[in-house]
Amino acid sequence: MSITTSLRAAGLLAIVLTVSACSIGSGGGAGQTAAGQAIVASGTFVIDNIDPGSAQGGSAGKELAGQQIYGRLAKPDASGKLVPDLAEAWKSSADAKSWDFTLRGGLKFSDGSPLTAEDVVASFDRLIQINGPYAANYKGVTAKASSDITVTFTAQAPDPALPSKLTTLFVLPSGVPADAATYFAKPVASGPFMVESFKPSSELKMVPNPNYWGGTPKVTSLTIRSIPDMAAKLAALKTGEVDVVWGVPDDQIPALQSGTGLKVEAVPSNGNFTMWFNSGTPSLKEAKVRKALWQAVDFQTIIKQLYPVTGQPADSPLAPTVFGYAPQTPIAHDPGAAKKALEEAGYPFDKPLRLQFGQAQFKPFLQAVVSSWAKIGVKADLLQKEQAVFIEDLLAMKWDVNFQLLGTAGYDAATNLGRLYPCAAKRTGYCNPDLDELLAQAGSATDQNERKELYAQASKIIWEDAVGMFPMTSKVSYVWNENVSGFTLDALGYPDFSKASEWGN
Amino acid sequence: MLTLVIRRLLAGVIVLWGAATLVFLIVRVVPGDPATVLLGPDAEPGQIAAMRAQLGLDRPLLLQYWDYLGQALHLEFGDSYRLAASAMDAVLSRLPATIDLTLTSAVISVFAGLLLGSAAGIRAGSGQDRIVTTLTIVLQSFPTFWIGIMLILVFALGLRLLPTSGAQSLSSLVLPAVTLSFPFTAIVARVARSGIAEAMAEPYVQTALSKGLTPREVLTGHVLRNALIPVITVVGLQVGALLGGAVVVENVFAWPGLGTLIVESVGNRDYAVVQAATLTIAAIIVLLSLVADLLYAQLDPRIRAAS
Amino acid sequence: MTVMPGFISGLAAARRARRHSGLVPAVVIGLYLLVAVAGPLLIAYDPVQTPLENRLLPPGAATSTGGTNLLGTDALGRDVFAQVVYGARTSVLIGLTTVAVCLVAGVAIGCIAGYYRGWVDSVLTRLVDILQAFPGILLAIVIAGVFTPSLWVIILALSVTGWISFARMARSVVLSVRERYWIDAARLMGVRPRRLLGRHIMPFTVGPLVAMATLEFALVVLAEAGLSFLGIGLPASSVSWGQTVANGKEYLSSAWWISAAPGLALSVLVVSVGLLGDTLTARYGRARSR
Repeated sequence: MSITTSLRAAGLLAIVLTVSACSIGSGGGAGQTAAGQAIVASGTFVIDNIDPGSAQGGSAGKELAGQQIYGRLAKPDASGKLVPDLAEAWKSSADAKSWDFTLRGGLKFSDGSPLTAEDVVASFDRLIQINGPYAANYKGVTAKASSDITVTFTAQAPDPALPSKLTTLFVLPSGVPADAATYFAKPVASGPFMVESFKPSSELKMVPNPNYWGGTPKVTSLTIRSIPDMAAKLAALKTGEVDVVWGVPDDQIPALQSGTGLKVEAVPSNGNFTMWFNSGTPSLKEAKVRKALWQAVDFQTIIKQLYPVTGQPADSPLAPTVFGYAPQTPIAHDPGAAKKALEEAGYPFDKPLRLQFGQAQFKPFLQAVVSSWAKIGVKADLLQKEQAVFIEDLLAMKWDVNFQLLGTAGYDAATNLGRLYPCAAKRTGYCNPDLDELLAQAGSATDQNERKELYAQASKIIWEDAVGMFPMTSKVSYVWNENVSGFTLDALGYPDFSKASEWGN
Repeated sequence: MLTLVIRRLLAGVIVLWGAATLVFLIVRVVPGDPATVLLGPDAEPGQIAAMRAQLGLDRPLLLQYWDYLGQALHLEFGDSYRLAASAMDAVLSRLPATIDLTLTSAVISVFAGLLLGSAAGIRAGSGQDRIVTTLTIVLQSFPTFWIGIMLILVFALGLRLLPTSGAQSLSSLVLPAVTLSFPFTAIVARVARSGIAEAMAEPYVQTALSKGLTPREVLTGHVLRNALIPVITVVGLQVGALLGGAVVVENVFAWPGLGTLIVESVGNRDYAVVQAATLTIAAIIVLLSLVADLLYAQLDPRIRAAS
Repeated sequence: MTVMPGFISGLAAARRARRHSGLVPAVVIGLYLLVAVAGPLLIAYDPVQTPLENRLLPPGAATSTGGTNLLGTDALGRDVFAQVVYGARTSVLIGLTTVAVCLVAGVAIGCIAGYYRGWVDSVLTRLVDILQAFPGILLAIVIAGVFTPSLWVIILALSVTGWISFARMARSVVLSVRERYWIDAARLMGVRPRRLLGRHIMPFTVGPLVAMATLEFALVVLAEAGLSFLGIGLPASSVSWGQTVANGKEYLSSAWWISAAPGLALSVLVVSVGLLGDTLTARYGRARSR
């Protein structure tokens, strides 16, 4: 080997280096006013896939992308209330088995072609055909176009929550096949934005859809970027590379609040920390024991210390923004009474509870819960599981206490209480014929006040029998550059940017 | 030489087949079903069965293995279960970031390592040599994730010179590359040192020295050239090892590289991506070690003669 | 591990003037062993207890109960110093066990390969090549990442590639010793292979093996910390340096001590083991893996 050859090799290295270095050099600088009103946002959800019907990829990411790109019949507003989107009105038959949705007049896709009832039906049929996670919501439901602007959904059983469920139906033009990976590189849009470029799990860049019924968005582009590392995300916010972030941990917020040019706000989500007890575990069979375990945990202090901004003590299995919410009597922290009740019930103190959870971010909270239990001699093994294993074990009831941050799809108790707590759901090991009866009635009642009352009664049973512990309603924290305004602080972390704007700095 | 090439190539193919089999077995032995991850906790058994069929997971293992080998031959690993992309595309989209990081740290390490190695090797056994040797052990012993965090603490949070993490600009490459260079520099320095020390003892060097050339002239003129051969070999191998092995540093700096992709995919039971990524890395490593061997044989007449 | 090659090779020189250079690291390692064994007896620490009112206290600050935390507290109010002490136990335990597993498995495999040669040797060599087609830490991550976390899973994951260097060295020693005349003599006298290996050949491997085990221990401790830093392998209830460093990452700008202290403890241990291993390697010259 001569020295020249090795120099050449080094030169080659350098060339490769510079060429490949360009791939990362081009990312920065977006979001500056020089580029016009280009908004860059970075939230909690990774967008793996923008095919709204597909089973691939996280559903939250699909939802976030979907509502920027596609229209829906109806959508929840920031507080969860159902408002018109592509449909301007809907009404049900008296038995709630049949629903008519009337579309706005003159709707168009981004490519200029008209958007009709046929397209809605085709999108629905595609969802059913793919048989992904959403299809289960529509068992026995069929759709048909009664006219150009009317879609009729027919269910086999009364389905008063159908409009809420349909918020997951994103409208595509008819004729998109079930398996269409290439189509979704640049899909035709029916929502406020069109796809400019998409890198799965990294970046989705969009531009305004000139044919959007609600008026062309004011920004020149909207980029949703995934930055998994919180430090990097906040640094990008401070330098102006990113304009809006959400899902910021509580401990980071004070430093941001004191910074200039940033705004901070936390909005209540529709999710509660939900810690089911497995009532099938012999030692947890009695409501008295479950309630004592709940009493033993000092949730008030834990929430105050760990979630001063995004936590709010819960007083129902449901979050306050959910339809069917009814406040219950708080369970007071009383370790003495808890210990006594457990001793009386013959609780096996030597046998540790298996407390399972999925996401690492909840570990400190759960460690604090375990610590509270340890003080009265209750042992618990904290088991963090990979998503695949977590779900399998959850369904197989291989746990004693299960932690989830449980949201309520469509802001309706039907998708939470009605879905998870009947005996047949086999989710908690708890089975109560009275509760079953209430939930069945609530599921088919058509009068909203009646439904509300029934869910209130169901909530009371679930709360009093301590089917689980419901310590906290979680909020979503948003931090944004004060130049940006007009986007919604969405309760679920799906902000709507169709009215957003940015003024010069 | 030709027989050597053929023999090594054949061995490489066998190794890759073994690696492919190993990965296949590992991902299929583990608990957790991709269909469950995709469909979530509300899926019905019928839906899960349909999804398993769609993913081809319901077929006999041997059949899946056979198809997998056939696909792997065409560098095809099917679609990612998670990402809207083929598994190979997912791997290729992460490769540039990984290469940036690895090569930058290679360049830093070669310069720093040769400098240290020369300083030690030129006077083997001296105090200078001992200091450098001890230094290399220290450099190599530090846990990279901790070095990375301390560098963030000082240069990003303290002095505010460089970004903490991410891959948005060229400056964010500096800290992770420097972090990876710690052990890498030590390796280069050791190899360079022993090569140089050996060469310095050769008669021709002694002659040159006795003719009045300074040690530095001898080093740059004669010695370094020979000492470079093992350095190039070790750099090649180390670059291969860093392709997926830099995962800890990638994690510290949120660098979107291959290692991170593999960790994510293992968690999501994204078999296709795990297979594509690990085999891509294995192939590059096998290739690099093959090239290193052949280069060595080409450059060292003794090995050439032996084959 | 990425640091493997140079760690072990390239050490042949600088072995002069080093007779006492192993002393300081040996003393430091001894201290760690002492802390690992006795520390937990002297310092009470229960990772389960989370005194939240004490969270994120800086080093030396007074706690709500009137005590002081020498190295501050973490995000759940737990003492960082105690975590450093208990983490030493975890690291030493995993390090020793893994090295023992690798040593036994590696020497057995290496001796078999070296003694029988032929196809046994070729198959084992190929197996090693296959395992080395992956960066070591990657294989450990894939293995540890897919099973339920436990001490044994992490030991298994680290052993999968850890035995290779022992096997390699044992094989080369056996290959060279095998040809000596007294081995031939013993064989001709009808000594059975197993006895021959155990009685006459293995003793030659002891010195280099000790040196190599020392270096391997450093690698294992580093790798274990790396895995637990990634949150892979160890159950949530165990105390480990890597986990503590990872827990502190989110608080770098406000509570640097959480990450700094355990990382420093880890670094000092690995540096000392590395220096001692270097001295031993120089003394027993043979320990080179490639």
